[in-house]
Amino acid sequence: MTEARNVSAAQTDAVAQTDAVQPALSVRHLTKTYPHADRPVLNDVSFDVPKGKVLVVLGPSGSGKSTLLRAIAGLEPIQSGTIALRGEVIDEGKPGRLTGRSKRASALRTRIGMVFQSYDLFPNKTVLGNITMAPTLVLKRKPAEAREEAMQLLERVHLADRANAWPHELSGGQRQRVAICRALIEHPEVLLLDEITAALDPEMVREVLDVVLELADNGQTMVLVTHEMRFAEAIADRVLLLEDGAIVDSSDDPEGFFTNPQSERAKQFLGSFEYKRHEATA
Amino acid sequence: MSGVELLMQPSVMPRLLSGLWVTVWIAAVSVAGSIPVGLVTGWLMTRRNVVVRFLMRLYLDFIRIMPQLALLFIAFYGFARLWNWNLDATGACVLVFILWGGAELGDLVRAALQSIPASQYDSAYVLGFNTWQTYTRLIIPLALRRMLPASVNLATRIVKTTSLAVLLGVVEVVKVGQQIIDVYRFRCPDGALWIYGAIFLMYFFICWPLSLLARHLERKWSHD
Repeated sequence: MTEARNVSAAQTDAVAQTDAVQPALSVRHLTKTYPHADRPVLNDVSFDVPKGKVLVVLGPSGSGKSTLLRAIAGLEPIQSGTIALRGEVIDEGKPGRLTGRSKRASALRTRIGMVFQSYDLFPNKTVLGNITMAPTLVLKRKPAEAREEAMQLLERVHLADRANAWPHELSGGQRQRVAICRALIEHPEVLLLDEITAALDPEMVREVLDVVLELADNGQTMVLVTHEMRFAEAIADRVLLLEDGAIVDSSDDPEGFFTNPQSERAKQFLGSFEYKRHEATA
Repeated sequence: MSGVELLMQPSVMPRLLSGLWVTVWIAAVSVAGSIPVGLVTGWLMTRRNVVVRFLMRLYLDFIRIMPQLALLFIAFYGFARLWNWNLDATGACVLVFILWGGAELGDLVRAALQSIPASQYDSAYVLGFNTWQTYTRLIIPLALRRMLPASVNLATRIVKTTSLAVLLGVVEVVKVGQQIIDVYRFRCPDGALWIYGAIFLMYFFICWPLSLLARHLERKWSHD
């Protein structure tokens, strides 16, 4: 009895140790070039995201932020480097392959969740149908069980009363919260959020970001791209600054990064969000 | 004899209806045949291969530019000469309507497939759907919703265009009507008005429900 308990305790320790040692997501020397482009859109990008932490990727438009998330999700082929989940390499760069998606198995894809800028729910399914589709089809879970979990998730994002609504009947903010539920029901090890509030009206941004903050509190590992600097500052455990596809700054001290940036590039980037009051001269 | 009396003659309505049956049969077979042709054509139109796309473009443009009547004459008179192909008039009509319907439907299929945003494919991929699931559960249902209203309208156009078959000598509803008018030319000089009026109503009652269906589907799925 004690022995058995010891064994299981040892196993838990071992798991805890691998989790501590192995980051939830690690990206190494990732390089990607679009077809017909003369330079790579991502150039030798490496970083780790420990389990339960939130990485915020910042950078000007065209710096490769979205492409980075899409590459991690397998939507874009990479030409060199590796992407690993808990130390297990799930994607390796293939130099000649410039188009198409990564040939990852379905089961592997469900370990990474992604929410996009355009809140693209499936228009032919209700809110509940959107959320339960993947668990029943891909993970082969029982429909009743999937529905039950979907309702719990909807409860968490305050949309339980809209379970039977159609996507077109929802506001943008509501759709985005449903999209988050749709990703969460697969229990992804890493959740990627690609400018999920960029297409929303300002008053809807808050309701979506509150959900994301709650996820972070509950230990969901996330990588997110956002232009909401105050939000980034509030949620980040780690910050990366991308420019022209390369990491130009990174910090494990987001508070310091946002209030007192060290590098010139970070100062310049963060400065672009500041406005000075215009004083009219008499 | 008045026009109403003409329509009440024991032989008139049954003959018109038997002619209508030929019309409906040609239209139904043509629509049924257009569906597989259209699906394959539409799918080929979305291929990356330049040669395939060019050939499909050529097919669609050729069919669209040519008047249906010219196509009918080519099929009926031309093919017989060219390949010693003894196509009867009904067969020629069905062949032409299938080629025409297939091309038009193919273009609707192409437009529907291309109108589905790439982000839908992305979502399906990230959620772990395999290719079969992506198409059967998402892309095909969405494409059908986008193309069905216009496809039903295409079906009504095919029904109406079957009247050209009369020029190849197919005895369909218009031809039957002409025969009746000829027979009663002296006994009922106003016959043409009444007979063609009856034919008009017959076409109307076939096409109107289709048109209502198309409008209903369009409204139902306008949100996608």
